[in-house]
Amino acid sequence: MRKKTGLGTKKELDAQLNLTPFIDLLSTCVCFLLITAVWIEIGTVEVKQSHGTEAAAEEKDSYDLDLVFKDATQMRLNLKKNGKRVRKLDVKGESFESMLASLNSAITGKFLLNKKGLIKVATATVTPRSSVNYGSLISTLDILRKNQIMNIGVLTAKGN
Amino acid sequence: MILNNSMVASDAFEKHLINRKRKKHWGIKAAGFTLMLTSMVDMFSMLVVFLLQTFSSSPEILVTKGVELPSSITPSQVKEAPVLAIASDGNLYLDQKLVAKTSLISKKPNILLKKLDTIKRNWAKSHKTPFTGEINLQADREVKSTTVALIMGILTSSQFQSLELAVVGQR
Repeated sequence: MRKKTGLGTKKELDAQLNLTPFIDLLSTCVCFLLITAVWIEIGTVEVKQSHGTEAAAEEKDSYDLDLVFKDATQMRLNLKKNGKRVRKLDVKGESFESMLASLNSAITGKFLLNKKGLIKVATATVTPRSSVNYGSLISTLDILRKNQIMNIGVLTAKGN
Repeated sequence: MILNNSMVASDAFEKHLINRKRKKHWGIKAAGFTLMLTSMVDMFSMLVVFLLQTFSSSPEILVTKGVELPSSITPSQVKEAPVLAIASDGNLYLDQKLVAKTSLISKKPNILLKKLDTIKRNWAKSHKTPFTGEINLQADREVKSTTVALIMGILTSSQFQSLELAVVGQR
């Protein structure tokens, strides 16, 4: 479409878009993004090594949960109030997965219940064993995090 | 418009004209096809915008070679911090550079502590805020948990108290 301007000269107002390089550019962009994309979602599990620091002394009359691995299919839970053990429970399973299921039911069940209701655990510490691999340790931390126990520490342990 | 010897329409009217022209010659030749350029450009644009939005939202960390990360059902977002990696062969890497074997580090932790001190000094030079103590820890899923705990202990003693254990998300 052409329009007359004030000076009387004719000037084209419509711009023409060259589609071929535009499509080329878009296709290149799509290919580049698809190739460089990272499809494996990497996340993190946060561990706060709070023992002996200010974080541990934040709350008074708080409950702490200790998880001590005995081996890959057995662990002991210690519930502590102000550093003193008030409850203990041995969690066992035929395999590591069944032990994890028992751990989950213990945390959601009677072990963390008192007269007032569900006990709020301030910190949890996991003591590993050399017979337990890192993947299993992460699965254990997952169970704690799934049950809203976020302040987790891992202790250094020796022996089997 | 002609693309690869076939006529393509850039708008609806042009498409109509092409179709009418083709219908005239149906009896003779019907080998042509129309390419909806407007829709195609729309689709490409949307795809580019979607891919850009999806992949630019969170920081990414490089997974060290020889490390098969464990999976987790409760992963948090990755934070930008130094990366310490324990490979399946027992080698310890700090930001992709080999430090030593973990067996040696357990006997002589000073090798690692010196490197960590350098990171802390560099942080103090480049930041005005206090040191956050964040570090990403990558370890192979088959590594002994006590080895990882030992490295964690060394990190804690060197003021790295917020450890981000790298995992593969399972959502």
